[in-house]
Amino acid sequence: MRRPVDIAKDEASMTTLVELTSVFEGIASMRIAQTKNQVLESTKFFDALWAIYLQLRVDAIFSYGRGNSDKPVLDRELFIIITAEGGFSGDIDQKLVELMLKDYDKTKNDIIVIGHHGAMQLSQRGVSFRKYYKLPSKDKNINVAPVIKEVQEYRKCTVYYQQYVSLMNQEVKKIGLSAAIQTTAEKSETHEAIISEANYIFEPSSYAVAAHLERSMMKIALSQLILQSKLAQYASRFRAMSASHERADESKAELHLAYNRARRNVKDERLKEIINGIKKSKAAAS
Amino acid sequence: MSDETPTSDTQAKEAASTTDGRSMHVKVYSPFKVYFEGTAESVSAESATGPFDILPKHHNFITLLDPCDLIIRTGKDEEQAIAIQGGIMHVKADEVIVFLDV
Repeated sequence: MRRPVDIAKDEASMTTLVELTSVFEGIASMRIAQTKNQVLESTKFFDALWAIYLQLRVDAIFSYGRGNSDKPVLDRELFIIITAEGGFSGDIDQKLVELMLKDYDKTKNDIIVIGHHGAMQLSQRGVSFRKYYKLPSKDKNINVAPVIKEVQEYRKCTVYYQQYVSLMNQEVKKIGLSAAIQTTAEKSETHEAIISEANYIFEPSSYAVAAHLERSMMKIALSQLILQSKLAQYASRFRAMSASHERADESKAELHLAYNRARRNVKDERLKEIINGIKKSKAAAS
Repeated sequence: MSDETPTSDTQAKEAASTTDGRSMHVKVYSPFKVYFEGTAESVSAESATGPFDILPKHHNFITLLDPCDLIIRTGKDEEQAIAIQGGIMHVKADEVIVFLDV
């Protein structure tokens, strides 16, 4: 039987754990609310840019902001996988890596990883990747320009990301980057007016403006996918913390029960010793 | 003085956005921050071709901005300068929208 003082120590540690998981749960929940707002703000900004692009459209095909550049394009598909920075976000990263590896063919695809956890998971599986970027710690002004520069070198690009469905449900998804732009744009209002050189002055040129808009919208779309992933990671962390909180609470209650039992046992033992002592002294007196 | 005093936030916004041909409605913003929104008499910035000013009744115009101080003149001696790293300016019907961080 364990001593009550040892059980009390364990109970105190478990109380700390309960408090810690509760704090992490709170932080995750606060981050979820903040990130949701940022996605909304960023979507409004995207809509305004998309409205101009739609009226200006100089080419029928989305050209990844390459414009009239004659730089050769790699005839391969780039995979961008957005994972968490640390391994503190449940099992969602593992599911995402598995989803990407189902499509991966090293003769046709290159991989760029955003988030250290994804890079580690790929290394453990012996899959090499072209580049690794840290997942931005801040949620505002995410600089995705270096990634977009890489994207422009490829004919096609698919992004693997995590999507927040609800606090208790997150999904792993994939989307073509140009399709991501199209999907975001479908939600915005349609604009009938046409912007052309007949009714507008362009500096430096309509093609340069259209290419710049494409690059800008790719940046916003990628930033939004990163925010979506972070949202899902916060939710996954919240779920993991909720489960840990529950388990820690149960363990604490069990330890408290064990502590009370142990104390009672000690008291019973002492009482037995006293009664035995009294019996012995009575027997000796008679 | 007009009797039509704005009575709600929406009406106040509508009244502020109405231009009289001597001022423009200007909005300068990025995905996460609005740097300026209101009426102005002129806006100055720099593009690849050099510095330029936008005044009321300017022709429809789209330009890529270079890093510079974007200056918004709101009154005779009042101006606001915003240091920018680049952006896109869209001018149409006395409405100037500057998209930053893009």
